[in-house]
Amino acid sequence: MSLQQGAKGERPRYFADPGIDKVLSMTMALAGEVAVMRDRLDSLERLLESGQPVSRAALDAYAPDDAARAERDHWRAGFLDIVLRTVHQEREALERRLNAQSYAAVIEDVEATTA
Amino acid sequence: MAVTGELTEQFAHAVLPVTTSEEYSRQEFVKSLKFHLASTVSLGIKAAFQVRAQPQFKQAKGREPETYREVQHAMAGEPYYQFWSALQRNSQEMMWKSAQVPVERQLPSLIDAFKNASGSKGSLTLDPDLEVPRYHRLVDIHCMPGGYHTEFAEEDIANGAVYDRAVYVYVMGRMGPLNSDIGDSTANFVKARFPDLKPRRILDMGCGVGHSTLSYVDAYPDAEVYGIDVGAPMLRYAHARAESLGKPVHYSQQNAEKMNFPDGYFDLIVSHILVHETSHVAIRNIMRETNRLLSPGGVVAHTETPPYRQLEPFDAFMLDWDTRNNNEPFWGASHEIVPADMAEETGFEGAKAFEGLQPSAYESADAQRTKVFQGGDFGGGGAWYIWGVQK
Repeated sequence: MSLQQGAKGERPRYFADPGIDKVLSMTMALAGEVAVMRDRLDSLERLLESGQPVSRAALDAYAPDDAARAERDHWRAGFLDIVLRTVHQEREALERRLNAQSYAAVIEDVEATTA
Repeated sequence: MAVTGELTEQFAHAVLPVTTSEEYSRQEFVKSLKFHLASTVSLGIKAAFQVRAQPQFKQAKGREPETYREVQHAMAGEPYYQFWSALQRNSQEMMWKSAQVPVERQLPSLIDAFKNASGSKGSLTLDPDLEVPRYHRLVDIHCMPGGYHTEFAEEDIANGAVYDRAVYVYVMGRMGPLNSDIGDSTANFVKARFPDLKPRRILDMGCGVGHSTLSYVDAYPDAEVYGIDVGAPMLRYAHARAESLGKPVHYSQQNAEKMNFPDGYFDLIVSHILVHETSHVAIRNIMRETNRLLSPGGVVAHTETPPYRQLEPFDAFMLDWDTRNNNEPFWGASHEIVPADMAEETGFEGAKAFEGLQPSAYESADAQRTKVFQGGDFGGGGAWYIWGVQK
């Protein structure tokens, strides 16, 4: 069976060309599926390392323990850093400009106070 | 009561959908994406405001933006904010999809589990003729496809199951293994503020799947606990969930604007993240109805995120993201409610109104909280805003 796919209500448009909204959605969905595949590979490696029998059923049923979950959380954080590199570059540039602005304000402030 | 315990896994009660390893991984990705957006990407928004939007506003108007609406105006065309918004909206849509896939695969067995629910002394009363309120028919609240009320099968519990799992992903586990942080925190607040209140009957309005309702079974073991909601799939699921957990609750399908309980039936009436999902007219109807249902000295308490007047304009702007981006049309207006005014307007005494911030009861999640109230970071503030009035 299939549940309703989209939410009722007009979706906001974030970009001038609505095609960009769609492409971004597809890009993020694909990033998610890469992470899913990476987890499956990780499960396979862990089963092999522990000498347990490997089968599709064993992979489907594999439940990571706390340590494996923490390692996967860490991997996903790094993966998102890579996927969203362009966003983080813009953020860092903004933060650099903000710091430069702030420093200029400090000089202004200090000069005003000493005057 | 501080709550600690399992931080990484939702409690597996009888109707929680089972996930295959791939389905679980897909949900884990959404959780990581949401945390990444809330803890890292969102930091650039303030920088973009300070570096670009704020100086532009100041140049045009000769002063700083003074309200969250002015910040919103200043940020309307800000590209970094728009991109973050687009990512945030996608994380929300991906979250629902990741919660739907396992439910689509196993719905018949989940419905069977509902039919076999027993073990406690709770009850379930549905009203197929109940009219779903307009504010839930117009849009699917917080982008959940089908909202609380749509049924996809006979005796359906699908969206209850989707909601239970999606909330856990949405809050990134920070409301505890039973998603109970709002209820636990509110119960702590009420107990501290009204130590003499010994409720015989407690009502949870807009109870959904009972995430917060069950807190009152534990907090007031001598009280009868009732939960109402407009969505039948929520209530069926809530009933099965409560039975599985051995917590007796009387669930019924009703609109909080007009309920069928007798006058003075309750000593404590609560709601958790209900108010922002109603409307200007509905919240006033609800307050008048709680006035009718409360016994003398009884208390009504609503829990939400903090009102905008308690936040800096930029922070209020960030919290207001949901109004336009997450199908929460009453979110913004509900954050401007003034408890004493609302109380006066709905038949209570304004002087008996109260409001306050209550720290999150679930302490294990503290390290995962950003301590910021912002769109897409629900449960990350480390506290809840509670307002209400004593009759």
